[in-house]
Amino acid sequence: MAKAIRIKNNVEEGLFEFLKSLLEKEKIKGVFTLKKMDEEGAASYSLITSVDEFKNAVPLFPYMPVNAGKELSNFTLLGKTEEPIAAVLRPCELRAFVELAKRAQGDFENILTVSLSCGGVLDLNTMGEKNQEDLISKYWDSVKKAEVSPNTRETCQFCENFLPLNADITVATVGNKDLDKEFTLFFNTPNAEEFAKEASGSSVSAEIESNEINEFKKKREELKEKYFKETETDENGLKSLINIFAPCLGCHGCSHVCPICYCTLCEFDSKTHEYPTPSLSSDLQKKGGLKVPSGNLLFHLGRMTHMAVSCVSCGMCSDVCPVNIPVATVFSKVGASLQKEFDYFPGKDVEEPAPQGTYKEDEFTKIGEQ
Amino acid sequence: MNKNIGVYVCECGPNIPERIDIDKVVNEISSMDEVKTVKKYSLMCSNDGKKFLKQEIEKEELTHVVVAACSPKDHENTFMKVCEEAGMNPYLFQIVNIREQCAWMIPDKEEATSKAIQYIQAGIHRVLFHEPLEKKELEINVDALVIGGGISGIEASLSLAGPKRKVHLVEKTDSLGGMAGKLSQILPHQGSKIKSVKEKIEQAKNNENINISTSSEVKEIRGFLGNFEAVIKSTPENGEEKEQEIKTGAVILATGFDLFDLKENPAYGYEKNENIVSALEFEDMINSEKIVLKNGKKPKSVALIHCAGRKEKGYCSKVCCLYNLKFAHYLKDNFPDIDVKELYMDLCLPHKQDQSYFDQAKEKGVEFIRMDEVVKTKSSGDQVEIEYKDNDKTDKLKADMVVVAPAMVPSKDTSHLAELLNLPLDKSGFFKELHEMLDPVATPMEGVYITGCALGPKNIPESMTQSHATSGKILSSLIPGRKIVPEVKVSKIKEELCTGCQTCLSVCFYGAISYDPFKGVSVVNEAICRGCGNCVGSCPSGAIHSKHFTYTQLYQEVLDALR
Amino acid sequence: MNNNQKETKINPEKGKALSSSKGIREEILNIFKKALADDIFDAVMIPAKVPNTDAYSWILLQDESLFEMADPLPPVMAVQGGRALSSFSKNGELDLKIAALMRPCEIRAAVELFKLHQINLNHITLISIDCPGATPLTDYMNDPKKLAETYKKISEKWEVSESLRPACQNCHRFSLIDGTAADLHIGLLGKNDKVTLIPISSKGNEILEKLGYEPTDSLEEWKSNREKLLKEKIKNREKFIKEWQEKINKTDGFFNELNKCINCHNCMNACPICYCQQCYFDSQNITFKPETYLQKSKEKGALRFPLNTMLFHIGRMSHMVLSCVSCGACEDACPVSIPVGRLFSMVGDQTQKEFDYIPGMNREEPLPLQDFKEEEFCEVETPNECEEKVTEEAK
Repeated sequence: MAKAIRIKNNVEEGLFEFLKSLLEKEKIKGVFTLKKMDEEGAASYSLITSVDEFKNAVPLFPYMPVNAGKELSNFTLLGKTEEPIAAVLRPCELRAFVELAKRAQGDFENILTVSLSCGGVLDLNTMGEKNQEDLISKYWDSVKKAEVSPNTRETCQFCENFLPLNADITVATVGNKDLDKEFTLFFNTPNAEEFAKEASGSSVSAEIESNEINEFKKKREELKEKYFKETETDENGLKSLINIFAPCLGCHGCSHVCPICYCTLCEFDSKTHEYPTPSLSSDLQKKGGLKVPSGNLLFHLGRMTHMAVSCVSCGMCSDVCPVNIPVATVFSKVGASLQKEFDYFPGKDVEEPAPQGTYKEDEFTKIGEQ
Repeated sequence: MNKNIGVYVCECGPNIPERIDIDKVVNEISSMDEVKTVKKYSLMCSNDGKKFLKQEIEKEELTHVVVAACSPKDHENTFMKVCEEAGMNPYLFQIVNIREQCAWMIPDKEEATSKAIQYIQAGIHRVLFHEPLEKKELEINVDALVIGGGISGIEASLSLAGPKRKVHLVEKTDSLGGMAGKLSQILPHQGSKIKSVKEKIEQAKNNENINISTSSEVKEIRGFLGNFEAVIKSTPENGEEKEQEIKTGAVILATGFDLFDLKENPAYGYEKNENIVSALEFEDMINSEKIVLKNGKKPKSVALIHCAGRKEKGYCSKVCCLYNLKFAHYLKDNFPDIDVKELYMDLCLPHKQDQSYFDQAKEKGVEFIRMDEVVKTKSSGDQVEIEYKDNDKTDKLKADMVVVAPAMVPSKDTSHLAELLNLPLDKSGFFKELHEMLDPVATPMEGVYITGCALGPKNIPESMTQSHATSGKILSSLIPGRKIVPEVKVSKIKEELCTGCQTCLSVCFYGAISYDPFKGVSVVNEAICRGCGNCVGSCPSGAIHSKHFTYTQLYQEVLDALR
Repeated sequence: MNNNQKETKINPEKGKALSSSKGIREEILNIFKKALADDIFDAVMIPAKVPNTDAYSWILLQDESLFEMADPLPPVMAVQGGRALSSFSKNGELDLKIAALMRPCEIRAAVELFKLHQINLNHITLISIDCPGATPLTDYMNDPKKLAETYKKISEKWEVSESLRPACQNCHRFSLIDGTAADLHIGLLGKNDKVTLIPISSKGNEILEKLGYEPTDSLEEWKSNREKLLKEKIKNREKFIKEWQEKINKTDGFFNELNKCINCHNCMNACPICYCQQCYFDSQNITFKPETYLQKSKEKGALRFPLNTMLFHIGRMSHMVLSCVSCGACEDACPVSIPVGRLFSMVGDQTQKEFDYIPGMNREEPLPLQDFKEEEFCEVETPNECEEKVTEEAK
C-alpha cells in the first residue's frame, strides 16, 4: 500500500511548497512543471533549477500547452539525466512518456514523476483570455465535486484513465471537497518514499480509490459512448471520416503536437507524399476534379495506422486543430478498438514492447481462417 | 569504434610556457574521461617532434589526435601528414591554437592558462564528432582551352601545344586573326610585317595538337586547375549546329577588344560625312591601296584625330599614337604633297624607338596640334571643318579626309564570360587581373588566365609577352602525370530534405552546385566544390552541410568555449 | 528567372465589363465554364465548399458539373492559395493549361514560390480578383452560418469591418493591377452586378481575346472606386504599422506577444512561403544532451519547454519575412490566438522597405537574398563614406 501524507494546505499551494522544499534542500536539482509566462494567464512547461524562478511555478494549472511526456522525451532523447529532477505530469502525459521511453525516445532514470487524479484540462484557446479566471474557478469546483467540467477538452470529458499509472507520487484531487484546505499526497514507489519525509503533513491510512472516483469514472464512460457514437463511423465507415476530415487544411498540427508522433521527419511531410505532377492529367480525367492540396485523408488514415495503437487520448491534436476537427475523439475511438484487439494498454508498462514490434504465432488467427 | 584520444601540448620553444602553465594544462586535461593520454612536448613541428607524434600514435593505438600549439595555418597540415603516415585517418585530427589565441594575447598567466584549457576541451569534444573523410586523387588534365583566336590566343596556343598537351582554340567569328589580322602592317619600325600575323595563323592551323573551332562559343564552363569541364557550341554558317563537351586543365581568355563607338560622341561627325572614317576603316583603305575620297578623288589633306573616347572611357588606349604615326608616315611616303595634321590630347611614345619615329614624322612635315577636345565637325564645301578647343581657346582646321582613332574597349563577350567563370571586371569592363603588379595574367579562379587586350589596351609585343606568361604558368603547374587531390571538406546535400529552391546555387561562387530537374533537387559536384560553406549558410532548412564543419562539431566547440 | 517567364506588362487602360442579372458568382463561374468549354484552359483551380459540410477547400476541376460547389470569394481563406497551387505543380512539368483564381495575397505568394522554384508557372494563368477580405477561420468554424451571413453583408459593401481578419483589415493590396504578378484581374469594385475583366499581361490579353471579350470598356469608374477604398486602406495600414511598432519597441515587446506560444508550428505550416521539406528548427541539429539543457536552465534559473520557441519565431522571421505577403494564414492557424500574422506583417513591411522590395509584385524581380548589389547598405558596410550620401538623401 502506498504511503499517504495529508497536508493541511490548499492543494495548489501545498504541492508548490512541497516541490519548492525539495528544490531548496537539493533533493532534486530541478523541477519540470508549468510556469507562469505573464500576468495574463499564459503558462508554459519549464525546467526550473533555481528557487527564485520557482516562484512562478503553477504545477496544477489546468492547461496542457504541450504534452509533457513529449517534452520529457525531448529532454532525455540523447541520454538519461545525471541529475535528479521532479516532473509534474498528468496521467496521459505520463503514459505518453512510457510509450516514448519504450521506443528509445526517452529515459525515466533519475526522474521523480509526480502526477494527480486528473479532472482534465481547459481548451487552449481560453488560455490568456479575459474569462480565464472564471473558467478556472468553475473547473476546480467540478473537480472537487467529481463532476465532469464542461469547458475541458472533449478527450478529458470522456477520459476514464484519470488515475495515474506508475507515478512515483500522486496528488489526489478529484472528489475531494476540502481541496481548499487539505489534500493527500500518495507516495507509490520505494523511490518516492525517500521524499515522503520532506512532506510537511501527517501520515494517514488512505487509498486513492473511492466511491466518488468510481462514480466519476462511470460518468465519463457514458460520455465516451456519446462522443464515440457522434462520429458515426460505425454506421458510415469511410464516408463519415471523409466528412469529419473535410475541413482539414493539411497543416499537420495534430501530428506535430502528438506525443506519440516522434519521427524527425514524418513520412507525410516528406517527398514520398508529395503529389506527382505527371499524374494530374489522368487523375483529372478519372475524377473530373481534385481537391488540392490532396492527400489529407490519407495522412490521417496513415497516422492512425502508425500511432493509434499507442494513443493516450491526451487531446492535444483536437486542441491545436485550426478547423475544430475532433481528431482526438476519432483517434481515441480507433485507438481503443485497436488496443483491445492487441490486448495492449498504452502506458501501462515501459518494459512491454509495442505491438508493432512483437510477433505472436497465434494472433489474429480468425482473419487467416476467414 | 573505441575512441583513443591523444592530446599533445606543444611548448613552441619558449613561446607558450612563458604565458601558460603547461603542467597545469596537462593535469586538467588528463582528468578528462575521453582522453587516453596527454603529454607536453617542446617543439612538435620539428623532425624529432613529428617522430615523437608518430610513435605516440602507434604506441598508444590512438584513433584521434588533438595538438594544442600554433595556428592551423602554420601546422595543421604538418600534423595531419604525421597522422596519415602513422596509419590514422588524418581528418580525425584537431589543432587547437593556444599560441596566437592565448599565449600571445593574454598577459595574465592564470587567465591564459584557463582559456587554453577551455580551448583544448573544446577541441577534444569537437574531434569526437569528426568523420574519417577520405581523400580522392584525380589525374590532372594538362590540356588548355584558349578562348579567342586573335594574335594573343594564337600565340598562347602555339607556345602550349605539344604531343602530351592538346589545345582547344575557340573563335567566335569564322576566321582566326582577330583585330591584328585586319591591320595593314604592324609598325615597320618594330621590325614586323603583317605577314607575321598570317604566318602565325598558318602555323596554328597546321599544328596537329591545336584543335580549332571557329564560329564557336563556350556555353558552359566550370571547374578548377587541372579539372575543367566545358561545353562548346558551334554554329557554322553552312553547317549543322553542334555542341561539344570537353575536359581541359586550364583556360586562357584571349577575347581581345572592340572599338569605341564613334557615334556616341556626335562631335566627331562620324557617319554624318562620308569622308570622316575610323582608324580601322583607314587600315582597310591602306590594305586595298585605295586612299580616295568619296568623290573618287585623292585627298590633298588629311587630319588624324587622336583620343576619341578617351574622356568618355577614362583611360588612354596606348597604341593609337603609334598607329597614327604609321598612317602619317604612309601618307607622306605615298602622297608627297599631302598635308597631314595630327590632333592629339597627349602623346604616348613609351617604347625605345617611338621617339625617333615621331621625330621623323615631324621632319616629313606632319603637323602636331595639341587639343583638349573636338567641339564639332561639319562639312565645309567638299572639306571637313573641325572645330577644336585647347585651353578654352577654340580653333578650326579644314581637311579633305578625317581619320578618327577610337579608344579600345572590352570586347562584347567579356561580361558574358566573366559571368560564366565568376571573374571580376574592372571599372572599364576589362577582365581584372589577380594583382596588377605581382600577378598580371592570373585571375582569382585558379587555372583561368587572361592575355592580350582582354585585360586592357596594349600593343602586339605586349600581348605576345602576356601569352607567353600564361603558357609559362600552365606549363609549370600542369605537368603530365601529376595528380591532384580535390577538396575533401566539401558540402553535401541531403536529397530528402532538399526542395530544389536553388538558393545555394545562386550563392555558389565556383559553380559547384547544379540543379537536377528530374529529381527536383540541387546537387554538389564534389570535384569542384572548394568547401567555402556559402551554400550551408544560405540554406534555410539545413539540408546542406559541410563535411568537416557540421553543426554538431561546431556546436561542441562553441559550447565549451563559452562555458 | 527560369520557366521562360518573359511576360510583357501592359498598362491596363481598358477592360471588359460584364453585367449579370444572376449575380457576381454566376458571372465569374460562367467565364470559367466558357474558358473550359472553349479549350482555353484544361482545368481551373478555384475555392470550393466541400459537399455536406461547411468547410472550404480548393478544387482543381475539369468537369463542368463541379462548378456547383465553387465560390470565387468564400468567407474564409482556409488554405492559402499559393500553398495549394504549389502542392500539385512543383514535381515536374504540367502538360495541362491551368487557370488559378486567387486573392491578391495568394497570387503574390504564388509568385514568390515561383521565384523559389516551388511552382512551375509555365502552363498556369494567374487570375486575381478584387478582395473584400475574409473572416477569421476560428470564428467561422465556430458558427459557420452566422459568419457566412456577416460576410455576405460586409463584402457586398466593401466595408472594412472588424469582423474581418486583422490581416484583411490592414491590407492595402486588395486589388492587383500593378506589377507583373497576375495575368488577368477580375475587378468587382463598384456596382454589385458588374464584373470587369482587366488584362495585366499579354497572356491575359490573349485569353480575353480568345474568349471573345475584347478589352474595349473604360476602367474609369472602377479605378475611381478602387482609389477611394485604397485611400482608406492605406491609412489603416499605416496606423497598424505604427501601433505595432510601438508595441514591439517596448522592453521585451516581441517576446511578450509570444508568451502563449506552444511551438506547434501551425503558423509555419499554414504559411505559403515556408517551403522547406523539414524546417531547420525541427531538425536534429538543435537536440542536445540532458546535461546541456540542465546547464542552460541553471544559467537563467529556468528553461522553457518546448525548447527553442523564441528561436523558432526569430529564425522563421529571418528566413521568410522578406517574402511575407501579409496574408495572415499564420494567425488563422494559431491555436492560442497569438497575433503572429500582425507581428510578421509589420516586421516584413519594414525589412522589405530596406531592400526596396515588394514580394510577389513582379515576376522578374529577384529575391533580395539571392541578388547581389555592389552598392547596398552603405550605412552598414562603409558608414564613413556613407554619411554624406545619407545626409544628402535626407535633404
